[in-house]
Amino acid sequence: MIREGKFGVQEAMWLTAATISSKVFYTSPGLITGIVGNSGWYMTLISMSIALLSFTFICLLLKRFPGKDIVAIFNDTMGGVVGFAFSGILGLYLLFLATSRVSEFTNVMKIYAFPLTPSVIIIGILTAGVIILCILGLEALARFTKLAVYALLVGYVLVLILGVQNYDINNLFPIFGYGADKVILNGILRSSAYGEIIILAVFAKSLQGIHHIKKAGYISLIVSGIIISLSLLAFSLTFPYYSTLEITAPMYHMATLIDYGRFVQRVETVFLFIWFISSFISVTAVFYCITSIYCKLFRIQDAKPIIAGSAVIFFSIAVIQVNIGVAAEQTIQITRQYGWIPPFALPLISLLTAMLRKKGVVSHE
Amino acid sequence: MSKKIALIVICTILAAALCSCYDAKEIDDIAHVLAIGVDKGVSDKWRLTLQFANMKGSSSGEQMGTSSGGDGGSQDGYTYVTVDAPSFFTGLDILNTSVPRRLVFTHAGFIVVSEEFARDGLLGEYIAPIRRFSEIRGSVHVVVTKGSALDFIKANKPVIGTTLSKAINTSAREPENTGFFPHVTLDDFYEALLSTYRQPILAMGAVNRFENFDEKGPKWNNEYNPGGQYFAGQTPRYGENNIEYWGTALFDKDKMVGELNGSETRALMMIRGEFVRGFFTIQDPKEPELIIALDIRQDKRPRVKISFDGDIPVVDLTLCLKGDMLSVQSRLHYEEDPLLSLLEEKFKEDVKEHVNQLINKCKSLGIDVFKFGNVVTRQFLTIDALEEYNWNEHFKDVRFTTNVEFLIKRTGTQRKSYPIANPEE
Repeated sequence: MIREGKFGVQEAMWLTAATISSKVFYTSPGLITGIVGNSGWYMTLISMSIALLSFTFICLLLKRFPGKDIVAIFNDTMGGVVGFAFSGILGLYLLFLATSRVSEFTNVMKIYAFPLTPSVIIIGILTAGVIILCILGLEALARFTKLAVYALLVGYVLVLILGVQNYDINNLFPIFGYGADKVILNGILRSSAYGEIIILAVFAKSLQGIHHIKKAGYISLIVSGIIISLSLLAFSLTFPYYSTLEITAPMYHMATLIDYGRFVQRVETVFLFIWFISSFISVTAVFYCITSIYCKLFRIQDAKPIIAGSAVIFFSIAVIQVNIGVAAEQTIQITRQYGWIPPFALPLISLLTAMLRKKGVVSHE
Repeated sequence: MSKKIALIVICTILAAALCSCYDAKEIDDIAHVLAIGVDKGVSDKWRLTLQFANMKGSSSGEQMGTSSGGDGGSQDGYTYVTVDAPSFFTGLDILNTSVPRRLVFTHAGFIVVSEEFARDGLLGEYIAPIRRFSEIRGSVHVVVTKGSALDFIKANKPVIGTTLSKAINTSAREPENTGFFPHVTLDDFYEALLSTYRQPILAMGAVNRFENFDEKGPKWNNEYNPGGQYFAGQTPRYGENNIEYWGTALFDKDKMVGELNGSETRALMMIRGEFVRGFFTIQDPKEPELIIALDIRQDKRPRVKISFDGDIPVVDLTLCLKGDMLSVQSRLHYEEDPLLSLLEEKFKEDVKEHVNQLINKCKSLGIDVFKFGNVVTRQFLTIDALEEYNWNEHFKDVRFTTNVEFLIKRTGTQRKSYPIANPEE
């Protein structure tokens, strides 16, 4: 029997927020700067707004099917075959998210901290940790996240505050970067940055009703938006646009520049903890979702054997991605532009279908 | 049962992770490079010189012979090795074969390049790309030296105490106390190199052979000398420490095109808002053969306003300084008006003159090293428009006005000074 347990709004909120915002520690900021210049910090707020709107549709869908998760809802609204396909696409999307995050994590880790350690060891240790936490269950993961998030936030805020010495307000200009049109268009397309919000719909049954899902979803999106926007703002204040787009991991690089005399310098070691723990939480949450979707799709009651099997697939894909190297990285970045389709478009299609077919409970509130 | 298995697995993973076998570096397996010297090579493109502690204690003065693959030298507690190589990294590998420790750069204090290297425009080709190497931090200082980088590193020894890394770090922070040379890191230099709206600078250094120090000769008359007019390696001093940091190297992209002396460097630091503190000597307005010494600090960051008159940029610069009195040789009452205002005006005029001369000098070279371009970015809505305007191209046409705000805040430990009694009276 799949025992996902029950947890509260706060746990769900922090789990989702940590999952969404961990990507800011990797190569994405550099890539965004390449597209929109120094305007990334408010472009992401546009993306967040789109994600908030899309999440409203997800909530409307969940509201029509009380007590059901997204896999069951796809099945009910779209029929067996199409519903299966929808859930499968969502599962593959999440698998892609998890493996690309692991490969990015491994690459950045090898560049900055462990150049000689084989990728297989880094991915293997991370995967082992993921397996253990998944065996302990979703509730344990959510509670661990809530426990860890305070330390993560303190470290994160510390890096931002200590970085003040390198901030230059002039770096925020020209204010529209490579053009307001590009900022708005990419802001809409890059709403996929918040696509992990879909995990709330996968874990819908673990939360106490639609009201809690709504609350956790909206707050986590806003918190993630603030974290991502603040990070991008800090990068833009520290590095001019032409410099940010060259840096592999701007947040790490920013931490290396902190220097307040002999006693406060080289604080990037603090950042390594934030980096590792947030990546670990993020990958585990997404991986658990993949396993959960798979079990629900094939009506498998015991998830534990599936966790081990999924971990082998997950590990293999991540290793392949790392070995392909730069080419895989570029593909990941291109596909991110279309990453909004599985988490946002599929539930919207499902909602419209449910309305047309008059399926689910219609609320008259 | 499952919890026990999980616990065992966690412990195993932690044990594997914490020992970090692959990237482990035992302290006695490595040598921390403290200084990196780069010259044009003779046997190959690069002449790479690395300085590091020889771990033989500081006072033994023992020689270290590491000459395989390159020239080796000895210093008290430190040593250096040098090699000609086709690239930085090949040079590094060659040196690693002759040094019985693995050379690591995580604690490198500075990179020194020869003036010849900088004037030939090789920094963009050779130095900037090593920023990609994660062992070398972006905060490492970069210095251009007169003569060869090898000579500079040979002369680089701790004069006070025994720790070279401490000496390097303290020297790098000296601009905060004097303003006679800038504090420029590899990241600063690299960013300016990429910029479309400002130009790079680097600190100048040199080995002072004490040739300007005349032990004997006609004594100095009362001619006024502000003290900052020297270039690197020319200060009239004598002592054990040969190396000195003094002045600024000016670049047009990666090519060194000029040099600033100490006074000009102070003016540059003031305009960039990087001046922290320095002792200034000015002529006494009432008795010009005497001097007044002031302790000057930046009060606020400079205000830079830029507008356009047609296509011509107009810069309105206001420097905000404050100071304390250090000494008044004439013992006149400069502590209160009207002499106080007179002194403040005199200092403002001096600073304004230096600043205007410096801006004109850089205009003639066509290089904005003042970061005015950073402020220009506010005048444009998009990056494309900014780059199309091409500030670096337009800087030579800039019209500017300079204002200096300056107040003497304190009079030192004396509220007033009275004439010294003449015993003959």
